[in-house]
Amino acid sequence: MKYIVTILFTAIISFSAFSQAGVCGQFHKKYCILEKEKGTKWLYNAQSKSGLFNQGMVSKLRCVIYKGMDYRVSVCCETVLGDKVSYKIYDARTNEMLFDNSTADNTQIFEFQSISTRQLIIEVVVPQGATEKDKHKSENAACVGLLIENKVTDKQGFSQY
Amino acid sequence: MKKSSLFFLASITAFTLTSCSGGEKTEEVENTDTVKVEDPKTNPVSETFFQVPSPGEMLTFIKMVGGAKNQKTDFLNPVSNNKNYTDAKSKALNFGIYSCDLSYCSIFNIGSESLKYFGTVKTLGDQIGVSTAINPAILKRLQDNVGSSDSLAVITDDVYFSSFEALEESKQGPTLALVVAGGWLESIFIAVNLAKYEANSPVIERLADQKYTLENLIEFLKKHEADANVAAVKTDFDSLLAEFNKISEKDAETAKVKDGSKSAMLNGGKQLVITEDVYKAIVAKIKTVRNSYTLTK
Repeated sequence: MKYIVTILFTAIISFSAFSQAGVCGQFHKKYCILEKEKGTKWLYNAQSKSGLFNQGMVSKLRCVIYKGMDYRVSVCCETVLGDKVSYKIYDARTNEMLFDNSTADNTQIFEFQSISTRQLIIEVVVPQGATEKDKHKSENAACVGLLIENKVTDKQGFSQY
Repeated sequence: MKKSSLFFLASITAFTLTSCSGGEKTEEVENTDTVKVEDPKTNPVSETFFQVPSPGEMLTFIKMVGGAKNQKTDFLNPVSNNKNYTDAKSKALNFGIYSCDLSYCSIFNIGSESLKYFGTVKTLGDQIGVSTAINPAILKRLQDNVGSSDSLAVITDDVYFSSFEALEESKQGPTLALVVAGGWLESIFIAVNLAKYEANSPVIERLADQKYTLENLIEFLKKHEADANVAAVKTDFDSLLAEFNKISEKDAETAKVKDGSKSAMLNGGKQLVITEDVYKAIVAKIKTVRNSYTLTK
């Protein structure tokens, strides 16, 4: 009997972990706008990420961006406040703030290029608000997607690229 | 039996609790010359995820700056080596390495080799638990698109991303860390086999820039270094980073975006300056570490 209970308990825990992992896995591909699918030159960047986070908390993603490329960052969230997700972009080495979407009409999309290759930290604050009901997560947790796309910067002058 | 069941249960419970926390909490350690610092009262918890560009990004760059006609394959890991990888560490590392070789053959339109490498990636993928990500439909897409490098590159990127997601969703963190490490290492191994040192060469600059990617990768490995295989790879990568740290830096120039562009320009940062001696030392280290993983000379 104890053996059966052990197996059942283990199975339930394993199922919970698996389900939890699958809740937000592809969120950024489903809910953020992929320019690539509109036939433009933007390419999906492997540093994109989705996750399940408690509302009101901060998540940071450290990525690498190369000079000579244009980048497009799209942030999306499932809460009713989804169009007001707050995010900031910092230089990872100096902590210098390079962009704050609250100073740009809370835009959820930011296109940029960098004069140098560098590590950036994209910091996202998950807003508080109603989320889609899902049996796999609590109501105060929300899926957040951070989609990164890139393309070669258009040639200008005598650029070596 | 009872003890082993309890141990198994305890392990599963600990693993589950760790998983539900949403990721390891880390603190940034590079808070120098701060311009604007976060207020810890308004941001009680920080979770940091360290991301690494895909191997295909490096290879696409190499093709873009002048290597489009390249068809060399002699430096790739031969598919016949597959049988030598019998332990979990070798399988995961070489799954990453072969995935990168597959991307390389696709990006450079070496179609017949693409199919061979796909077979090897599929075999190893089945063994490390990503069989669902590499299905017969992908093979058919690959076969149908031999001759179209753009299509092949998209398909092989899909293989890499799907495998990544399968490992992430099944909570195989250490395996994922080894796959990413193998893929990244192979991409720069290929790059140094194709490139020749020239000051101000875009390819050499991009190789120097791998210092930043390597730093991110080491942070990613750190999250899983409780696993002995990951810890061993991290030690190798730490020694590689020591070579990259010999690269000097200078302030980057400022610039404006082209008129009419929607993009903002992020000025500032550093430009890495790599000498030939430092480059050669990095190349030697890359080859030593990579060949120790592929079990080749």
